[in-house]
Order: sequence, then structure tokens, then C-alpha cells
Amino acid sequence: MILKQKRFWWALGVLLLGSILTAVTYFATDIYQKDEVALVTDHQIEDRLIENNRDVYNNYDQTREQILHLQILSGKQKGKTYTVKNVYYPSQLVTEKYRPRQRVFVSLKKGSLALVNPKRDWVLVLTLTITLALMVLVAGKHSLLLILSMALSWLIFYGVIVLDVKLNGTQIILVFGLADIIFSFVSLLIVQGWNRKMLATWVATLLGVFVSFGLAFLIMQLTGQSEMKYETGDYATQDPRGIFLAQTLLGVLGAVMDEATDIVSSLYEIVQQKPHITAKELMKSGRTMGQEIMGPLINVLVLIFMAEALPMTILYLRDNNTLGSAFGFTLSLGATQSTISAISIVLTVIFATGCSLWFLKVQKSGEKK
Amino acid sequence: MSTLLALVIVLAILMTVVGGETGIRSFFSVLINTFLLILVAMLISWGVSIPIVTVIFIPLKLATIIYLGTHDYTVAKNSFLAAFIVCLLVGLLILGCQWLAQAAGLGPEAGEVLVGLSQMPGISYPLIAVTVAIFSTLGAVAEAAVAMSSGLLELKKHNPLITPLELEKSGTSIGKDVLGTAMNTILFGMFGSFLSLFLWYFRLGYSFGEVVNEKLFVNEALIIMYSLIGVLLTVPLATVLISRSMIKNEAKK
Repeated sequence: MILKQKRFWWALGVLLLGSILTAVTYFATDIYQKDEVALVTDHQIEDRLIENNRDVYNNYDQTREQILHLQILSGKQKGKTYTVKNVYYPSQLVTEKYRPRQRVFVSLKKGSLALVNPKRDWVLVLTLTITLALMVLVAGKHSLLLILSMALSWLIFYGVIVLDVKLNGTQIILVFGLADIIFSFVSLLIVQGWNRKMLATWVATLLGVFVSFGLAFLIMQLTGQSEMKYETGDYATQDPRGIFLAQTLLGVLGAVMDEATDIVSSLYEIVQQKPHITAKELMKSGRTMGQEIMGPLINVLVLIFMAEALPMTILYLRDNNTLGSAFGFTLSLGATQSTISAISIVLTVIFATGCSLWFLKVQKSGEKK
Repeated sequence: MSTLLALVIVLAILMTVVGGETGIRSFFSVLINTFLLILVAMLISWGVSIPIVTVIFIPLKLATIIYLGTHDYTVAKNSFLAAFIVCLLVGLLILGCQWLAQAAGLGPEAGEVLVGLSQMPGISYPLIAVTVAIFSTLGAVAEAAVAMSSGLLELKKHNPLITPLELEKSGTSIGKDVLGTAMNTILFGMFGSFLSLFLWYFRLGYSFGEVVNEKLFVNEALIIMYSLIGVLLTVPLATVLISRSMIKNEAKK
């Protein structure tokens, strides 16, 4: 692999800066609003077995207890030391095992101390550093655009959530439909600039998302939404059906946008190189491309939507539920979301090819003049 | 008829109409992929060693996605090799980062969800978190590997006299497109997957400092970055593998 020297130095710079930021985050103490930071002062934590457990499902586990010595590093009680007991189960499903010399969050109320969380933010900074350094190394200058578009996506995402909460979740489909329109416009504008190709991609994306969403909605109504267990969605703070539909609208957008970009850009190249190509030939090229892309893309989304539910599925199966009920409670929403997304991805092949026909028309009318 | 079944039937029809034979094969690759995931859940719940299940299912899932999804054998062979190596590398990174982050298990809502379920299931959730992260990343890596390999081989088809060095140069520019393509898919896929969690944080007034230290958020953000790292590693590796195999083929002649 030929590495451009300059790129290498930039990547090294990112790595260096990132390492410093990681260290700063690791040692940061006074920037947190709610909880205080504390240090586990033990070099070896006293850890004893309280009892061996066997639950009603015949799962064997243990109850263990750690004795932690903590030194407070922030806030009014800085420098004070506490001793605290931490009960945990080695499976660590809901409990946490703490490590020697670790930094943790604690909440202090009236002289008593409660463990909250291990300090994890520095791991995010560390991983982000590795990602960005690699990105600079592989994509060079182009990575600036990628980072910009990613940062903007997070920003808009935050804005949409604020808006949704302000409307109290009443207009959730409208809000996230609108969000899709804005997201795709901004993202495509950054990467492609304002031109005909970008507009065609944008229209294809929106058609792909909304037509398939309408189709899926229709099917859901026709089948009476049978076996749709919306209430099994996690962390529902508002109407779970609305959240599910919003998640579907949002989750598929990226894949459809990327697919439309791929197909429209390639067909645009073809029209540039072979101006006399017929509409039929162009449609055939579009279809061939679409066939190649759609399988892997659908698999990407299936894995993202379903793997997330794996820990819960395993727990349900572990507790002697049948496969059917475990599936219904944990995987069925993810599977439905995957299927709707897959329909969008397939339909986008048609819309992206259709929108590319426009280039041909423009090309021909240009020749007439 | 259940809604899910109706949707799956519509999908099958659409994939056949739009995709032809490749479409039917892709449909089955998605179906098999889903069944493999359920099988993983079953095996782990029966107490089979989690690392062994993971190591066996990585190549199985990659093969399902790659060999069934593409019809060019050279593309498939090259993509599979690249994706497999990258998955192992990223797997090591995931192992390290998950150990540092201690973000396994269920989140703050756990109490509510867990009514009637065992809180002491006797299997290691930190290891399950690693498996979940690897499988979430795997799809993106496979997609990138296929896109890279088919792009480069297409180039070679149009320009048979291209030297390995020139090919590696074009690899960088194809890589940029592949990267752009993968990024939005991953990012929005994760947004869509965790929207309810974000709404939960917001409604319960979590501060920024709390969110970036919270188990589930950290887990999600890490998975986004693992996937990006996976795609980033795939770009140069797939290029090197293709140009290597070109040199070997020429030596044979």
C-alpha cells in the first residue's frame, strides 16, 4: 500500500492529540454536574463469596461482595475517604464488578455514598481517536467532509429529539418524516454539492423511504397489526407504536440514501460517457447494480436491528421460555423493522433508476438546442 | 395472518421481481442470516461456550452474506478472506475496548423489564456484549469487502493491463466511495435502533456527563465506531489482497 507521507503525519497528529484528550478525560474530575468522581484506592479488592445461588430456572450463579475503599476526587468532599460494600453477581447482567485503581462515579447524600457507574467516557474518546486516525490515513482530505456530515447528523438528531419531546410525542411520525427530509438534504448537499445529480439522489431517497413506509403501513392496517407487540419496545417514554414507526423511518434512511447515491452516481457516469445510451439500457444497468447492492445492505441492517436484542433473547431462553415466546418478546419488533427496511431498499432500486432517466432527458433536450 | 409474515411475503415478491435470480438468493441469505442469529442465542442460552460459538459463527455468517449475495466467485473469495481477517482484528479491538468500558448487561430500565426474569442467569454478560458487538459490525464489514472487491475487479475487467500499483491507487478512490456509503447506513441504523433510549435520556433529564458514561449509550457509540473501524480496515486490505492475487496469477502465466 502506498501511503502518502503527508497523510501519515496527519494521522499521527490526530492520534497524538486524541491520546492527550483521552488522558484529560480520564483524569477529569470537576466537569460533571450531578455525581462526584472517586478513585478506588485498593490495589487488590477484597472479594468474598456470600452464597451460591440456584434460581427457579435452574441457573447457577453466585452472590459476591467487594469491599471498596474510595477517595473522593471532586466536589465539596474532595479528599475524603469512604469504605463501601458492592454486591454483584458474576454474570453482571444488572450488577457491576469494580476493578482496582479504577475511577468511578458516586452519589453522596447526607454522608452516605452510593456507587453509580464506572467512568466510561474516556473509552469513547480513545475509540474515537483510533477511528479518526484511521479515517485520515485511509481517506485523506475526504475525511473532513465525512466527519462534518457525521457531526451534523448527530446535531440534527439532537434537535429532532428536542422537538419531539416539546410536542410531547403527539406528532411523532410527522416530526421524524420531516427529519428524514432535512437529514437527507443536508447530508447529500455536503457530500455532493448543489447540482442535478444531488437532486435526483434526494428525490430517489425520499421516494424510497416514504413509498415503502406507506406500503408497510397499509399492510400493517390490512393485517390488523396482529402479533405486533409494540409494548415490548424498550425504554418507551411515549406511545410505543409511534416510537416504533419513528425508529423505522430513521433507521432505514441511511441505507436508502447510500444506495440511491451509489446507483444515481454510477448511472450519471454512464450517461456522461455514453450520451446515446437508450433508456432501456440505462434501466438495465440500474437494475444490475441494484441487485448487487441490495442483499449485503439488507444484511447490514438486519444485523444492527437484531443483534441489539440478543442479550434479552438469551435471557428469555435461559429462563425456560419457548423459542416462540422469546422471539415474540424480544426479536419480533426488530424483525419487523428489518423487513420494512428491506422493502425500502428493494424499492429504492426502482426509484433511483427512474430518477436517473431524467439525466438522459436533459442530455437529449440539450442536444436538440 | 400475522403482520410480520405478510411483510416478509411482500418482500420476497419484490426481491424476486426487482432482483431476479440474484434477488432470490439475496432473500435467502437474509433469511439464513436471521436464523443463524437465533441459533446463536439458543446455543449460548444452553450454556455452550460463548467464545467458541462466536468464532464458529463469524465465518458462517460472512459466508452466508458474501457467497449468497454475489454471483462472481473471484469477488466472493476475495471479499470473504478480507472480511474474515478484518473481523478477527476488530474482534480483538472489541475485546479490549469492551473490557475497558465495562458496559455489558442491561441498562437503567432493567428493573421494569426484568420482572419475572432471572437476574442471575449464570452466563457471562460481558462476553455476550463482545459477541453482540462483533455481529453488529460484521454486516458492515462484509458489505464493504464486497463493494471494494467488485469495484476493483470491474476496473481490471475494463483495463486488463493495469499494474498492481495502479490498482492500489484506484483502490484509494474506490475506498472513499465505499466509506461514504457505509457511514450513513451504520449511523442511521444505530439512530433508528436506539431512538427510544435517547428519548428516555432526554425525558428523564440526563446531563451530557451522565449520558456519555451510561452503559447503553457507551455500548451503542462503541458499536458505531467498531463498525467504522472495520470498514476502514477493509478498504486497504481488500485492495492488497486483490493486487496480490493478480501478481500470483501473472506469475503462473
